Amino acid sequence: MLLPVFTLKLRHKISPRMVAIGRYDGTHPCLAAATQAGKVFIHNPHTRSQHFSASRVFQSPLESDVSLLNINQAVSCLTAGALNPELGYDALLVGTQTNLLAYDVYNNSDLFYREVADGANAVVLGTLGDISSPLAIIGGNCALQGFDHEGNDLFWTVTGDNVHSLALCDFDGDGKKELLVGSEDFDIRVFKEDEIVAEMTETEIITSLCPMYGSRFGYALSNGTVGVYDKTARYWRIKSKNHAMSIHAFDLNSDGVCELITGWSNGKVDARSDRTGEVIFKDNFSSAIAGVLEGDYRMDGHTQLICCAVDGEIRGYLPGTAEMRGNLMDTSVEQDLIRELSQKKQNLLLELRNYEENTKAELSSPQSEADGLRGIIPANTKLHTALSVNLGHETQAAHAELCISTSNDTIIRAVLIFAEGIFLGESHVVHPSIHNLSSSIRIPITPPKDVPVDLHLKTFVGYRSSTQFHVFELTRQLPRFSMYALTSPDPAREPLSYVNFVIAERAQRVVLWLNQNFLLPEDTNIQNAPFQVCFTSLRNGGQLYIKIKLSGEITVNTDDIDLAGDIIQSMASFFAVEDLQVEADFPVYFEELRKVLVKVDEYHSVHQKLSAEMADNSNLIRSLLVRAEDARLMRNMKTMKNRYMELYDLNKDLLNGYKIRCNNHMELLGNLKAVNQAIQRAGRLRVGKPKNQVITACRDAIRSNNINTLFRIMRVGTASS
Amino acid sequence: MDLNLNRADYLQVGVTSQKTMKLLPASRHRTTQKVVIGDHDGVVMCFGMKKGEAVAVFKTLPGQKIARLELGGVLNTPQEKIFIAAGSEIRGFTKRGKQFLSFETNLTESIKAMHISGSDLFLSASYIYNHYCDCKDQHYYLSGDKINDVICLPVERLPRITPVLACQDRVLRVLQGSDVMYETEVPGPPTVLALHNGNGGDSGEDLWFGTSDGKLGLIQITTSKPIHKWEIQNEKKRGGILCVDSFDIVGDGVKDLLVGRDDGMVEVYSFDNANEPVLRFDQMLSESVTSIQGGCIGKDGYDEIVVSTYSGWVTGLTTEPVHKESGPGEELKINQEMQNKISSLRSELEHLQYKVVQEREKYQQSSQSSKAKSAVPSFSVNDKFTLNKDDASYSLILEVQTAIDNVLIQSDVPIDLLDVDKNSAVVSFSSCDSESNDNFLLATYRCQANTTRLELKIRSIEGQYGTLQAYVTPRIQPKTCQVRQYLIKPLSLHQRTHFIDHDRPMNTLTLTGQFSFAEVHSWVVFCLPEVPEKPPAGECMTFYFQNTFLDTQLESTYRKGEGVFKSDNISTISILKDVLSKEATKRKINLNISYEINEVSVKHTLKLIHPKLEYQLLLAKKVQLIDALKELQVHEGNTNFLIPEYRCILEEADHLQEEYKKQPAHLERLYGMITDLFIDKFKFKGTNVKTKVPLLLEILDSYDQNALIAFFDAA
Repeated sequence: MLLPVFTLKLRHKISPRMVAIGRYDGTHPCLAAATQAGKVFIHNPHTRSQHFSASRVFQSPLESDVSLLNINQAVSCLTAGALNPELGYDALLVGTQTNLLAYDVYNNSDLFYREVADGANAVVLGTLGDISSPLAIIGGNCALQGFDHEGNDLFWTVTGDNVHSLALCDFDGDGKKELLVGSEDFDIRVFKEDEIVAEMTETEIITSLCPMYGSRFGYALSNGTVGVYDKTARYWRIKSKNHAMSIHAFDLNSDGVCELITGWSNGKVDARSDRTGEVIFKDNFSSAIAGVLEGDYRMDGHTQLICCAVDGEIRGYLPGTAEMRGNLMDTSVEQDLIRELSQKKQNLLLELRNYEENTKAELSSPQSEADGLRGIIPANTKLHTALSVNLGHETQAAHAELCISTSNDTIIRAVLIFAEGIFLGESHVVHPSIHNLSSSIRIPITPPKDVPVDLHLKTFVGYRSSTQFHVFELTRQLPRFSMYALTSPDPAREPLSYVNFVIAERAQRVVLWLNQNFLLPEDTNIQNAPFQVCFTSLRNGGQLYIKIKLSGEITVNTDDIDLAGDIIQSMASFFAVEDLQVEADFPVYFEELRKVLVKVDEYHSVHQKLSAEMADNSNLIRSLLVRAEDARLMRNMKTMKNRYMELYDLNKDLLNGYKIRCNNHMELLGNLKAVNQAIQRAGRLRVGKPKNQVITACRDAIRSNNINTLFRIMRVGTASS
Repeated sequence: MDLNLNRADYLQVGVTSQKTMKLLPASRHRTTQKVVIGDHDGVVMCFGMKKGEAVAVFKTLPGQKIARLELGGVLNTPQEKIFIAAGSEIRGFTKRGKQFLSFETNLTESIKAMHISGSDLFLSASYIYNHYCDCKDQHYYLSGDKINDVICLPVERLPRITPVLACQDRVLRVLQGSDVMYETEVPGPPTVLALHNGNGGDSGEDLWFGTSDGKLGLIQITTSKPIHKWEIQNEKKRGGILCVDSFDIVGDGVKDLLVGRDDGMVEVYSFDNANEPVLRFDQMLSESVTSIQGGCIGKDGYDEIVVSTYSGWVTGLTTEPVHKESGPGEELKINQEMQNKISSLRSELEHLQYKVVQEREKYQQSSQSSKAKSAVPSFSVNDKFTLNKDDASYSLILEVQTAIDNVLIQSDVPIDLLDVDKNSAVVSFSSCDSESNDNFLLATYRCQANTTRLELKIRSIEGQYGTLQAYVTPRIQPKTCQVRQYLIKPLSLHQRTHFIDHDRPMNTLTLTGQFSFAEVHSWVVFCLPEVPEKPPAGECMTFYFQNTFLDTQLESTYRKGEGVFKSDNISTISILKDVLSKEATKRKINLNISYEINEVSVKHTLKLIHPKLEYQLLLAKKVQLIDALKELQVHEGNTNFLIPEYRCILEEADHLQEEYKKQPAHLERLYGMITDLFIDKFKFKGTNVKTKVPLLLEILDSYDQNALIAFFDAA
């Protein structure tokens, strides 16, 4: 049994995921964590007498070895590490929704303080690709930025949605680190510097990422899933009803391979084998876990696993020794194995008995009423499933439809569909009332996103009066573009927006792709190239045209730029196209974007104006206060009262001004996100090198504020005409 | 002294019922004992442990499900004859496995509980109690509610035969011959009875009882009256008690109390100088503990607690240390034993696997033919659906002999499904199309591997009634599921009680008409929980109930042609009126319903609610302040500047938060009940006040008792 080697109880709360260990003086590891009221505390148990004298840091009134750092803003991310290798000690990085602070704790000075308009939701420190100096990389609203120790912006790119987690990992095994980005659109993207080399779609927001070793990394989702990827392949995953607050790789059983340590919202910490996900160790805290870290906190040369709970409890564990043979829990392995084997045996015996009883029941034919009650059904009962598109009617919107039916008079009592990402929870249940039971069921499905989904069906089949049912389990795949119905072309409604590209593929292959990705009626017969197909979106009725010319030129007409991107990405992976240059035009979308860009400028200027006003007001406050106090000293109570009244009014104005500033800022953020998303979307219309070229070129265009170039890049893919 | 017990699994048999495992007395002192156990397949198995291997002494052929297993014999000799109750038959075996008795009792119901003392045999089926002496019928009693357990005070120590029945309606019935000597109420539905220290204690009249809501107690059954000695409340919200035994496991010369619960908890209580029980040890097993006994079976010289679980595991919690300090050689030997066991299990598994694959193929082939049928394998589901008095919610416990894959919960009434910390299953709520399919709740629980037991908490609303269904799918091939139904009754939050306060102002609802006693009884069963389904003997019946949430009461007295319901809560009467008239219309029975409303009762009920509401409001307010106060504390470093009230909140912060978490939505429920009360009060007057409800809620938001009462009066 592995026991903690130390336990601390700090009287400060720790904000989840915002805790880090650093050697801020070069030798002593200290724990830094964000706590309530926009403060960061630093726990330094090693040098007790050290006092900070500056205004920013002050001694915690609650504890002697904790000092507090005032950020005056809600902290959104925090990390520590060597930002400047020449310095020889670690810097503390604190991100908020508007700023990034790199702080030198030892000298009590700022290394840099940068305004980041996109906010900092996550931060990671380390070297990225070929960039020589260590970077503090922050992920904000759709944007990624990397700063060196002087605060120089050495890395900037955009990603699909708001970033929630970051990690550095040698993904392709070239000895250089790649950046893993988990974002709100459920994607894990891998950036080799600013080039996306891989994209994995998950089922929920990715809340944490951590490198394990080699190309292996762990991830956690907001729905309670944790798992391990090796490159683009998922090794294993488990789902819990609790949420994983923090994950970390640590070799707890001293076998030379890191385990995935997870801290959960219910206070549980568990260590899972990186290969199988099997739990090899667990412990419980009284409150949710805020962070899992490692460090030599006792300074005895051994690295401990350090788990921090939200209520300030900190426990450190040393890796298991060789004598423990990896057996970290108090039960003996043999006992567990015996129990498991016996359970297996019992299950097999039960199954055997089931078959025996089945043969017995078979002998006692014919079919009778009582059989139905006990759930005996004809052995040749089969279940048919069919996916189709239903165009809906007045009471029900258009949807994709799953039809399940039995092959005889048995009824379907209920259908459970387990699928990720398309229902509110992880499952959808259809349970008709006792009067509406029949041998077939139609289930409407409306996936919110265009992703291929595996539907795991469990169908309860029996008779009306049964108390036991057979469970038929099967899996159907819902194609990516199931929410598009094949319709007859109507030239008048053909969308003006289009993408145009050339894929050297035979028309039959394109038809194959169509069949796999759309729900086409069975009698659809597509002639040879050139041909065109027309779909209508079931979500908003928008039209989608796909035209193929003899030359292999493909034109996709749709007003939905995301859909166009999805189609191009889907085709590219189906035909294994590595690089694809695309000509695109989305007049409506581009016009909107133009407006957004104008707005961004406006908000920026308003922001500056408001800041200036605030500075003026603060001068006024100072003078009012001085004058009021003067009046008090002069015993001129009436003037003093007036001054204070003015001050009060001014305070009210300031509060109002703050609200306006807040709103302005929110709008600005929204618009910036829209701009970032636009760049991302323009990128998604291309594949491989052209994709990165577009993103880089767009970024440069925005920097140089050249809007016309920006749109040209989005259209043709390059800046030069 | 710390009690340290190590778990050792011995053997697995089929699913077991409560009290079906016993240890045979050892022939010499300090040698290992044999275990005898009966399961649902009807197999009685007797085995001993030799070098860590279970060696069977005898094993009978399968038969009817074994409900009880007891040891007996001539009084004052070792009790080593084995008696089992299966169906309506009693069978006896010697310790070598020879059957010497087969006694068909001719009871119409199957036997549920059994006690043996010399040549006296005490049996009970669901409602019937029978006493046989030398297999001859002696006495008979028909109980008003289900009998859970039966015991007789030791006849060798007392001059009389005093059987005691543990009945579901929260009473112990003490019999004399065929008559009830007296009844005594216990704090919950008693599920198990045992003699104190195995012999009835100093007086020979002391009985332990355990209840289905997890309480324990000691009671002395004298000839004239019961004396309650102590009770242990179930503060930690553990499971119901299924079995108890006395054994000196601590080794201090005083027998300890061993307890097995239905959530898998095994506990040891020892007794202090004042003879009060003190918890010394507890360990969680993953499934219901059906039998428990102290003894020695694994290794000579080491005492242990032997338990059997629902899925048939016989497990020892032994004082034998896992790793002995006698040297490396010894440990190696233990490992060797284990390795042998594992390898033999593995080869057995391989063989089975092969057989299963063959059978599976056969089964697949049969699905090709058009005549063949496919039967669903039946598996047993151990379920319990009970009302918790403490937080007025229901808990549903499902247990299956193999791991559960998923459970679908469906309800045709609006209910809330609450999270239970113990559960590791992933719950997912599905959207319901309520109008066409009568679904108000559809939720799936996807269980983690090796989960055999699932606990759910359900909050119902009085007046809304219907059925809750659970579809349980275990992880076994061929995949099947079983459906279980549970009724949510109209007055679902009421609980049977035996005494009520007659001084309260009461509202009365009277039913008259052409209906039989059985009919009116069925209506009461329909409306209220904890009423026996069988119409009780006699012509007139009175039941008392208590609302577990508001503590209001209900008295129901009925006979052929008349039923009278009295309650101090108008809402209760209103619900009864609605439900009964609806039921009568459905069955086309002409029913005269008259009611008498007591205006004072509304004020009385509001006064009953007042302290609860005030407490909850204060608690909510305090909890709201905690975070802000804590922040101030961090900022200022101390709390000296705060007023005492706030300082007090800070000190009690953890406790307050815990209290608040324990009763989610308590305030909303109270508001709901006050609103119902308001509507019901005026419904009886014939006015609809639904439009005034927002006004009422406004008053509740700034709660003041007098203002509320005034509003009720004025409206």
